[in-house]
Amino acid sequence: MSESTIDVRDLKKSYGEGSSRVEVLKGLSLIIKKGETLALTGKSGSGKSTLLSLLSGLDRPDSGDIIFQGKNIAGMSEKELTQFRAAHIGIVFQQFHLISTLTAFENVLLPLEILKKENGRQIALNLMESVGLTHRKDHLPSELSGGECQRVAIARSLAISPAILFADEPSGNLDEETGTKVMDLLFQMVEKTNTTLILITHDPDLARRCERVVHLEHGRLL
Amino acid sequence: MIFKFFFMKEMKKYPFFFILLFFTSFLGTLGLIGISIVSGQIQEKLKASANELLTSDIAVSARRELFSQEQKILRSIFSEIEHREYKVIDIYSMVTHQKKKTSRLVEIRSSENGFPFYGKITLQEGEFSNQDLFISRDLADLWQVFPGEELKVGDLILKISGIVERDSSLGLRGFSLAPRIYLPLTKLTDTGLLRPGATGSFSYHFKLKEFDEDRISQLKGLIYDKIKDPAVKITLPQDSSEQTGRVINVLTNFMALSAMVGLILSLIGIFYLYQSHLHARLKDLCLLNLYGISKKQIIAGISAQFSFVFFLVMIFEIILIIPLYDLLAPLLSNGLGLELGPEVNVSLALRDIPFLFGLALFVLVPLLFGLMRTEMGVQLKAQKISMGRFRFFDFLPFILFLWLFSGYIGHSFKTGNIFFAALILVFSISTAIVKCGQWIIKKLISGRGLRLPNLENGIALRSLTRSGHKLTLSFLSLAMGATLISFILQLDKMILKEFSVDNKKPSLFIFDIQEEQMDPFVEAAKANGSPLAFMTPMIRARLEKVNDSKFVRNKKDFDFRAREEDEDARFRNNGLNLTYRSYLTDAERIIKGSPFPPGGTPEGRLPFISLEKRWSERMGIALGDKLTFDVQGVEFEGVVHNIKEVKWTSFYPNFFVTVEPGIISAAPKTFLAILPSGSKEKKLSLQRLTVEKFPNISFIDVGDLVGKLSQLFENSRKAIEIISWLSLGVGLIILYGLSHDQVYRRYYDIALLKTLGFSPNRVRLNLLHEFGTVFFSAMAAGLFLGWFIAQIIGRELFKLSWSIDLPRIIYPAILLSVLCLATIIIASWRAVQAKPRELLSDA
Repeated sequence: MSESTIDVRDLKKSYGEGSSRVEVLKGLSLIIKKGETLALTGKSGSGKSTLLSLLSGLDRPDSGDIIFQGKNIAGMSEKELTQFRAAHIGIVFQQFHLISTLTAFENVLLPLEILKKENGRQIALNLMESVGLTHRKDHLPSELSGGECQRVAIARSLAISPAILFADEPSGNLDEETGTKVMDLLFQMVEKTNTTLILITHDPDLARRCERVVHLEHGRLL
Repeated sequence: MIFKFFFMKEMKKYPFFFILLFFTSFLGTLGLIGISIVSGQIQEKLKASANELLTSDIAVSARRELFSQEQKILRSIFSEIEHREYKVIDIYSMVTHQKKKTSRLVEIRSSENGFPFYGKITLQEGEFSNQDLFISRDLADLWQVFPGEELKVGDLILKISGIVERDSSLGLRGFSLAPRIYLPLTKLTDTGLLRPGATGSFSYHFKLKEFDEDRISQLKGLIYDKIKDPAVKITLPQDSSEQTGRVINVLTNFMALSAMVGLILSLIGIFYLYQSHLHARLKDLCLLNLYGISKKQIIAGISAQFSFVFFLVMIFEIILIIPLYDLLAPLLSNGLGLELGPEVNVSLALRDIPFLFGLALFVLVPLLFGLMRTEMGVQLKAQKISMGRFRFFDFLPFILFLWLFSGYIGHSFKTGNIFFAALILVFSISTAIVKCGQWIIKKLISGRGLRLPNLENGIALRSLTRSGHKLTLSFLSLAMGATLISFILQLDKMILKEFSVDNKKPSLFIFDIQEEQMDPFVEAAKANGSPLAFMTPMIRARLEKVNDSKFVRNKKDFDFRAREEDEDARFRNNGLNLTYRSYLTDAERIIKGSPFPPGGTPEGRLPFISLEKRWSERMGIALGDKLTFDVQGVEFEGVVHNIKEVKWTSFYPNFFVTVEPGIISAAPKTFLAILPSGSKEKKLSLQRLTVEKFPNISFIDVGDLVGKLSQLFENSRKAIEIISWLSLGVGLIILYGLSHDQVYRRYYDIALLKTLGFSPNRVRLNLLHEFGTVFFSAMAAGLFLGWFIAQIIGRELFKLSWSIDLPRIIYPAILLSVLCLATIIIASWRAVQAKPRELLSDA
């Protein structure tokens, strides 16, 4: 059996208080292997994004464990979670979320500078080349098309060579043709770097491109 | 539907926007409305008491006795009208307290029976009459004298019959040069003070049996037509109140212009708030348009919405002003020396409201035009929503209206233009500094990593170079507030420095020295151990011709007369004092032409004349012009040889017109002199000696006068200072709005930075670096600009010397820094708490 990247045990998460309390994840367990590509599917409100936010350290569960490299990130403090995300996690968002006042290149360089990587500039330049945007590296996000923005976001997410790459509906904001191109690029990059990928999508065709598909319904895996 | 959308839904959904809009408009207009009410209240008071100020229906006066021909003309004009009349002579002279043997300068008002026709002289005890000596309460308090004690007035020793508690003819108590005493006209002649050249005013007052405003105006015209000498003035009650109000007008106009800065900051705030709000609401507006509401209807809805908020602001202000006035009226009355009415006249504020509303609405015009140009259908399909651009020309109505409003508020085109030019200067310099700063940062970060020297600063610097006009707006609003504060503090310091007694200022300014008294007086002073200096002749004259053309009296009456026209008219109608000397004093500096050549006027050449700069400008006289003066019936001609600047605050004998010594030296004259700075004993002993041996000679105690002037300045300075802080308050609210808006626009950037590994503290540090750089540079620029403008205005208007007062820069800088930092931290508090999970699609 391959080495696991994340071992999720009996994860529970709810939002709200009193009568408006909603239990989003109801004791979910899951093991994700190193280098695996996993698609998380499910209807809106099924708990996909909540699961992603917990696995990526953006939020903390009410109970349960998330074991990553022998450490339980569910019990980490805010500060430890921040450090964990900075060092091990890459995320591609549906809305791209590039810093508007940084150029495309600077957006890719940013996570490397946060980690104080010595050869950061070279890594960022290589990644810009990999996503085919060397000629657009000095442009601000407002000067790029949606597809270009998402390619910059992919490059940024891979800059720190993350242990896991989370992609939250990465083609959801793009037209079909551009979306396909961007997803091709994402899969190529993941394969090339042997990065674990957890992809949230509604698209069954896209989900099928992953090695494993897990379906969420009412806070439980089917 | 539109009403429901713009008034109910919007206000409910965006309370924060409307609260900010309300306070920005409120603080920006409060200063102006407040000043307008106080100034209007003063004008009303003066207008209501116009007859009391003049004491009659019409007065004919001159700074000399009316010639017999002129008196005949008056008699013939009034012979056909049923009237009563009296004569009043006001002169300045020294009086001595017999028991205490102390002397001081007083204004002697001597009148005939019947004075005053209007108003009342109220005594502490008993009734006023024109038969005895009365003294004002100021003098009684100063000397601690009581009725029954004796004063030496000229050659006479008179008993004080009573103390005047209130004189309704005195407009502004605080502004008189000397306290007043009242003497019967019959006794004035016996005092021996009415010597030629004595400083005074001779006036004939008339009261018609039936007062008719039109008739009085006609009479004024008739007298002007028959008495051609510009030295003779005809005063009506409204002229008298205007004259009294002039001093206050200058102060209130200046305060109003300071309040204008607050208003402009608030207009910038209103523009910015609406821009952000419309940007945020654009999608909803596009949807409204899709459902059939036209762009014009949307614009009408926005305008109505703003009008509603503005209307609320005005109601709130007026409600607030009523209790505030109750609180301030006694203080104002005391400070100005004018009894203001106990109740505020709210209708006075209504005059300015349409202008303020117009300005606020005009500032929104570019945004509304932008909305008109927005292709609303396209926006709904576009990935990024954007409003139509506005153009420079869209701002023109606002700029034009602002320029007109500056003139209206300053009651002077010149002051309005100077203010408007200063605004453009601050705006241009601020824009240039922002552009220059951005260019330097761009060069600095070009080809460098994100660490400069750390990541927080590196990201902040990049934001600074890549922010658009919002950066300029933030910079401008703070820079303007800081400029105003610094300007007031620096100018204040310069004026206080100027109005302080030092070794360079004389101890006594001495006047009314008769020609025959000069030698014995100089000798006596020398023997007394207090030698005089700058003995300067003074000759009464009036300008007759310029380049052989008759210089005529200016008697135009305008419905609306700007302050400059008013001042010109006064200048041109009055006679003048001139002197002759060949040298320049330390207080004079030639700016055009050359000094008088040595050796006096040679045969065949007209004597040279030196003119004070502002006087020559007002009279429209230039270098080389030939002037003809009438010196007590004798014509005297000369040529303008140089134009000079005079530092009036030196308190040395200075004149608008100086003539080359020569023929003029033979003219009848009196002398001025100074007692240089020295011990108090020397000053007192000279005063005693003079009052005893030369009773007609008068003094101004420079120390007293300087104290009075600084007190006068102090009162207005306090009001201006309050307005400056109010403006800064508006600036800070705008900064809060700007920071808050910009931070929230970057809400997702902040969440992303946290996702990538920034702690909340690092995010806060990043924001502090960015906004701090803008705010600190704006503050530094503002403080410097304020200092610089104060130096220019101090030099050009008040002839003050250059100076720098570091504590008055450093302390406001510290205070403003703390305020700015607090503003940034409060404005960004919630945004810094942004949750990274909000970046996810389902969040």
